[in-house]
Amino acid sequence: MSEYLLEMSGICKAFSGVQALDHVNFHIRPGKVMCLAGENGCGKSTLVKIISGVYVRDQGDVFFQGQKLDRITPAEATRLGIQVIYQDLSIFPNLTVRENLAINSEITDRRRIVNRKRWTKTAEEALSRIGYQIDLDVKMGELSVADKQLVAICRALLFNARLIIMDEPTTALTKREVDALFRTVRKLKEEGIAIMFISHKVEEIFEISDDVCIMRNGKNVFEGPTADLTRDDFSYYMTGRRIQPDPFVPEHIQEKPVLEVEKLCADPYYHDISFQLRKGEILGITGLLGSGRTELAMSLFGLIRPDSGKILLNGQPVSIKSPEKAKELRIGYVPEDRLTEGLCMRQPIADNIMLASLDKVSRRGILNHRKLFSEACRWVKTFSIATDDPHKYAQTLSGGNQQKIVLSKWMNNNLDILILNGPTVGVDIGAKQDIHHLVHGLAHKGLAVIIISDDISEVVTNCSRVIVMKEGMIVGEMKSEEITDQRITEIIH
Amino acid sequence: MKFKNFANKNQYTVMLLVMLAAVLVFFSITRGSLLWTGDAWYGMAMQFPEYGLMTLGVMFCFITGNIDMSFVALGNFATIFAVRYMAANAAEGASDGHVRAVIVTGILITLLICLIGGFINGVLVTKLGIPPVMATIAMQLVWQGLSTALTQGNTVTGLPAMYTEIGHSKMFGFLPFPLFIFIIAFILCALIVRYTVYGEMIYMIGTNVKAVRYSGINTDRVVILTFVITALVSGVGSLIMVSTMASAKADYGSSYVMRVILILVLAGILPDGGMGKIPDLLLALVIIQIIASGVNMFASLNTYYASLIWGALLLIVLIASTKLSGGIFKIRDDKKKKQVSSQ
Repeated sequence: MSEYLLEMSGICKAFSGVQALDHVNFHIRPGKVMCLAGENGCGKSTLVKIISGVYVRDQGDVFFQGQKLDRITPAEATRLGIQVIYQDLSIFPNLTVRENLAINSEITDRRRIVNRKRWTKTAEEALSRIGYQIDLDVKMGELSVADKQLVAICRALLFNARLIIMDEPTTALTKREVDALFRTVRKLKEEGIAIMFISHKVEEIFEISDDVCIMRNGKNVFEGPTADLTRDDFSYYMTGRRIQPDPFVPEHIQEKPVLEVEKLCADPYYHDISFQLRKGEILGITGLLGSGRTELAMSLFGLIRPDSGKILLNGQPVSIKSPEKAKELRIGYVPEDRLTEGLCMRQPIADNIMLASLDKVSRRGILNHRKLFSEACRWVKTFSIATDDPHKYAQTLSGGNQQKIVLSKWMNNNLDILILNGPTVGVDIGAKQDIHHLVHGLAHKGLAVIIISDDISEVVTNCSRVIVMKEGMIVGEMKSEEITDQRITEIIH
Repeated sequence: MKFKNFANKNQYTVMLLVMLAAVLVFFSITRGSLLWTGDAWYGMAMQFPEYGLMTLGVMFCFITGNIDMSFVALGNFATIFAVRYMAANAAEGASDGHVRAVIVTGILITLLICLIGGFINGVLVTKLGIPPVMATIAMQLVWQGLSTALTQGNTVTGLPAMYTEIGHSKMFGFLPFPLFIFIIAFILCALIVRYTVYGEMIYMIGTNVKAVRYSGINTDRVVILTFVITALVSGVGSLIMVSTMASAKADYGSSYVMRVILILVLAGILPDGGMGKIPDLLLALVIIQIIASGVNMFASLNTYYASLIWGALLLIVLIASTKLSGGIFKIRDDKKKKQVSSQ
């Protein structure tokens, strides 16, 4: 019998001509934690979906416990004991913990009548395997992300899982919750269950994993024991280049603040937020998912109404009631999610670029198509957006170029303040640096920029000042010379 | 080569042209002697402007990714009011000038009520966040209920003769007046969609309303305006319907709701939003009118079959349009997969 639980070799998968996976090799040992790492869009999730039977591979061999598998269906994967815990935790939020845990065995046993006692028994057995306690009558939707994950793990165990795949489980967890999760993971290891852990956080990978597989552009560039890897090598394998950080050095910061926020509150998102922003600086706001950072940005753009507190622009108190009011006050916002908030994907690139400044290419409501197009072309050039024809749909572009569209949208508007929420999420490393340089340039020209990001290295290199948020409050503020990864990480957790 | 380019860029238009030819050939073979007569085409030209105008109106809704089910009921309610007003104020023997003033007021009353109705739809959908299908079906029931209660279900008559005569008059000696109105409205709407900021916005909103809102545009206002435009343009259709029928009633044109949706979907203006071109709408409109008239030429297919025919047609068009928008590519992908896995 093979020493591996799951062995994959030469896996290929293409989507309409794009090679998502290119001869990927991959091994998981029983009772070990294997970490799958890589930047966004490198093919991690495609690989997971092939293992769990959602996608069918184009080429390659899969062995499970030494046995060759020709075709994996989702049912087959479950039967083999492969369980995936997705980021979005596909659990029924409107049912209780008990129901969530018991429902699947009830269905597979073809039970037709509800027996509360039996349900409770199933649920308690599941929880006891990882020594976890929780009220069975609480609705899933009311639990914290950490609790949901533990329930999901218990659920996976009910299927006699031999391999549990966790897709970026720590994204929304605090340090203490991460520790609790890792304790559970170690317990599962002792029982001989293999864990595949998807992450891009260096510290966590080195803490928990036995083996690492690093992917880049659909290929695996490293596979082997974690012990053989240094941290520098790790980031090299992740990005494909030895990155020279190019930090932002502010040139001219105005003395008078352009934006002052005083004791701003919006229940239940954030409380008692006060800070100042000056022209020419880049202010970073960081914190975990759910720390209130996004909601704070949305309030500054008129999307969430604060309950109390003051916002002053150039010393004048203002109320930002709506995005159009924000635009009028010369505030621009680049949202977190390009797909749902940033772009009209099925519309031309040119029209997307000009969407926030239609008044500049029209007169009395009559649109000047020629002007719209030539203006858009100007920005395509200035921001070097990679397209041969701006008439094409925005969805034809890569993530980085799409992000440049969202950015260029605001450039015609003569802004004072630009708020960037997660400006380089899902953007490849080359485009990432392009975008950072563009933002540096804007700040040098006298724009006041706020970058909201949970990518700490992004905040460290690009901001002249950083505010750290936790549970809706500001818990730390530091100037450029004091900003380091470690300090921010300490404060966040 | 030029044609090939055009065909590639306008697949939908080409498909509609093929379909138009097919429909014409079919009815020419089966009912040629009835179809190719001046009377038949004059009849069609008289019939389609009323629901053609409604289609034009609802098109705006569809482009923004919304839907309106209430337009026929709203138009009926508005015209019942207007006809009552006109009947009461234009007594026989009144001077032409007086009757003309009464008619203009009646038309304004209709449009005002439509404006209010469209505004209510828009507010329900944007400010209260009710799904557009639900909101407008509810409003449809409200308007129809009000009309029925007001008239006890009876036909409202007594229109000034001048008003019904306009509906049957010809412009420049050959152009039926309803068709004339339709052509003007069609050109206006086409210009609005193509050359105004509003037209640009509705396509963008239909594709992703959030992205437009996040660009600092008051999308609620645009959507409410859209529901108002829909109600106004389709209200003109109701005014023409009243003129050709010489009366108003709570349940006139009730089959038009589905027919309008059928035409829009056929034209590729799907309620998903952000899609479709105006010239395609004209083609779809003509195709549907020819089918409607053609079916009537079969004596054995009496009116009891009308619902069945329209329902089946809507179903076929819906299936075809989902296949066309992405479905074809899926099939191709599956084929590729099969080839690879069989290797």
